[in-house]
Amino acid sequence: MTSAQLYYLLNLLIYAGVDIIACLGLSQQFGVAGVTNFGFIIFQAAGAYTAAILSLPNDSANGGFQSYIAGWNLPFPVPWIGAAIVGGLVALPFTFVVGRRLRGDFAAVGLLVTAVMFNLLVTNYKPFLNGSAGLSLVPAPLQGEYDPSGAGYQWAYAAIALALAAGAFWLVRRVTESPYGRSLRAMRDNDLVADSLGKNLVAQRAAVLVLGGVLAGLSGGILVGYITTFSPGAWGYAETIVLFAAVIIGGAGSHRGAVLGAILVPVGFEEATRYLPTFGPPGFTDDLQWVAIGLLVVIFLWFRPQGILPERRRIIGATINIPNEDVVSLPGPLRAPRATAAEAGDLPAAIPAARASAAAPAARTRPSAPDGIVLRAVDLVRDFGGVHAVAGVGIEVRRGTLTGLIGPNGAGKSTLLAVLAGTLPATSGQVIYQGADVTGLPAYRRARLGLVRTFQLASEFKRLTVMENLLSAVPNNRGDSLAGALRGRRYWRRDEDAATARARALLDRFGLSRYADTYGGDLSGGQRRLTEIMRALMTEPDMLLLDEPMAGVHPRLARQIGAQLLDLCAEGMTILMVEHELAIMDEFCDPVIMMAEGTVLATGTMTDLRARPDVVEAYLVG
Amino acid sequence: MSLFLASLGFGLVTAAVLAIAAVGFTMQFAVTDVLNLAYGAVMIASAFVAYALNQAGVNVWLALLAAAAAGSVGSVLLNQGIYTPFQRRAGNSARAPITMVIVSLGMTLIIEFGLQAIVGGTSVSYTMSQGPTVKAGGLVLTAVQFAIIGLAIVVMAAVHVLLRYSKLGKAMRATSANRSLARNCGIRTDRIVTVTWALTGALCGIAGTVFAINNGSFGATSADLFLVVILAAVFLGGPGQAYGAMLGAVIIGLATEISAAYITPSYKDVIAFLVLLIMMVVRPGGLLGAAVS
Repeated sequence: MTSAQLYYLLNLLIYAGVDIIACLGLSQQFGVAGVTNFGFIIFQAAGAYTAAILSLPNDSANGGFQSYIAGWNLPFPVPWIGAAIVGGLVALPFTFVVGRRLRGDFAAVGLLVTAVMFNLLVTNYKPFLNGSAGLSLVPAPLQGEYDPSGAGYQWAYAAIALALAAGAFWLVRRVTESPYGRSLRAMRDNDLVADSLGKNLVAQRAAVLVLGGVLAGLSGGILVGYITTFSPGAWGYAETIVLFAAVIIGGAGSHRGAVLGAILVPVGFEEATRYLPTFGPPGFTDDLQWVAIGLLVVIFLWFRPQGILPERRRIIGATINIPNEDVVSLPGPLRAPRATAAEAGDLPAAIPAARASAAAPAARTRPSAPDGIVLRAVDLVRDFGGVHAVAGVGIEVRRGTLTGLIGPNGAGKSTLLAVLAGTLPATSGQVIYQGADVTGLPAYRRARLGLVRTFQLASEFKRLTVMENLLSAVPNNRGDSLAGALRGRRYWRRDEDAATARARALLDRFGLSRYADTYGGDLSGGQRRLTEIMRALMTEPDMLLLDEPMAGVHPRLARQIGAQLLDLCAEGMTILMVEHELAIMDEFCDPVIMMAEGTVLATGTMTDLRARPDVVEAYLVG
Repeated sequence: MSLFLASLGFGLVTAAVLAIAAVGFTMQFAVTDVLNLAYGAVMIASAFVAYALNQAGVNVWLALLAAAAAGSVGSVLLNQGIYTPFQRRAGNSARAPITMVIVSLGMTLIIEFGLQAIVGGTSVSYTMSQGPTVKAGGLVLTAVQFAIIGLAIVVMAAVHVLLRYSKLGKAMRATSANRSLARNCGIRTDRIVTVTWALTGALCGIAGTVFAINNGSFGATSADLFLVVILAAVFLGGPGQAYGAMLGAVIIGLATEISAAYITPSYKDVIAFLVLLIMMVVRPGGLLGAAVS
């Protein structure tokens, strides 16, 4: 190997380290948490500039040919550490853009525009970071002690870059393979549902922005120490697309995929071809390269959207193996978990806890209103534009009842449920839960208080297995926070095992054990409804708001679900359920609330309601 | 005062270019639900079609019509070949809008740099006369600038008539409000979507050419920054709101040019950027839209 070839190889290795770190950060945001950050390159630029100005001497030292702030001449590794910190800090305010209420594609465009504008600002304001010319003569790490152009130095640099890439891999893996990572993936699959299960979306998005920002910043620091120059041309918005192309091609959400993508796209495609002969007019091959990047993105999204190395399925297993199990043949009542659960449980210690919490939600000590009213709506109003979807509703739901909510289409039932759960804010009026006014609380806070809803439309997390769907809803898992996740499996293992045991018991009871490792997106309609009910139960709710839990379910199974719900109520849970099928209401619900045109028309037993002509009228006419 | 009047004049011209572009973009989004980031690339590609004709001796205002046709055909092809298949496959999944926006960004690269590979990286200008300088009500503008403003007024009036008084416009509004409901009411929504791409593509082509005329010189990547300004106007008025986009265009056009006169031209687009971000965070439904929640 000639020395030119050797330097070329080392060059590629160093770029591989840089790009792997960046792609892991982006994959964590986009692939795992579903935050489409089109401004990602800003974080890398922030890191690169930070490392540059921390290691450069004061700007007058070079004869003043370039101007910049700081210039502190700090020794290695301070500039790299600074790069990682600043990358993370710069990411934090982006939380405002990817906050809860903004459509995902709008947020993505907002971030793209931010990247374009930051570039414009840095380009135009010379005193800050030397404008469009950028910074040059950035000191290489330890260049006083060693010769940066020597082969030994370059080998060491490549080794450190790759070691840091390995560290980044370890870091993102630790986060993703924890309960917290599961919450991130749940948010990715359906953020509204994650919210309704008690996940704080803003905090989760802020955390992945910062985590990705730290990695991107570090990658920028390593890059600038090697190329010793950095200018706005190096971080145009299109560079973000290169990283996106890498993550999509490698496999979004898969860390190995991110590594592969980094090697294939930015390294293999951009850097490795740098010294190939060009042809055509000046810039022609560069243009073709950009076209190819665009083509790769579009072609992969069409033919292989999961990437070359797709996100792997997390097999947890139901352990309990029941032959010839049929969804329709539900086993006995909830109060008596089948012995198989205890027999097969590999963690005997966890089983009693699982039985207690799955079977007896009333055992949770919660302040209960003395009059037995768990949930009360007072003059509740919700407007859409000029339409009063909910127009002054007052209801009371008593503890231990399975209260029905019926009404013709458009009566405002689902909207009422959404306002009660906090998915939609109320226009006016109050929601009183357990005697406390929760009107101003967001959905995730209400869920944490035990007020949990399900959705009318299928709302399973599609790329989580059924088991993971259930586990994602468990509150108070020690591993369900960034800090907890970083502390490692040992820290959260007990919570996870207890949750898994509970989930297994529930799966067994609902007869879905053999689907434990099936993706939520691959289930049949009835199985989805069951999964959703089980998932809601995993939150250990005190009150459930069910939106047509039996829609599209086999009538026999619907009856069995009804019986299960009655059992839950007998144990002290309170349920408010929207349902169209009046036969179900007849059989299970008492009392029943009848809504029409946004208001409550009547409340009583189904027999009472059937006797009232105005109710019959509303149902038939509406 | 003369500085103010001069910048006001420039602001009106920018607003005129912006209005044509923003109305096209926002109607595209309203009916098809695609945030088509390749809009700027199609604009410039159309402007280059006009440039080719212009080089062959055709008057630029005639070439403008060819650009409109090119934008129209290009947009329909883009939709039929790329966006519709992707949308159909994604269905109602929560990730669909994100996939579409990534695809549109990929298409931006393909169109923009494909174009640059053909036309080269240097900027070009139309061969045209700026016409005599015209003074009107204290404004001093060239005849070409007045023509651009006039063209924008005509286009806005045409959009107004289309949306308010024509059956097609009603069908477009219905499709925009609720596509499946519109289909159940007997509207052939697929055809409406295609027609919308054709019409908004024409607006895109016209906008690209007047943008190039107004800019003086232009290259394959010239519209990158202008796309941000378009987005700002669109989001200010409320995404999907045609009248909102007109209002947004006037406000953004005047704000950027007047701030350019009083602060510094380098930062004039920063105003647009700030408006865009503030609108997204505070009121994503826009000034005229309902608060989205």
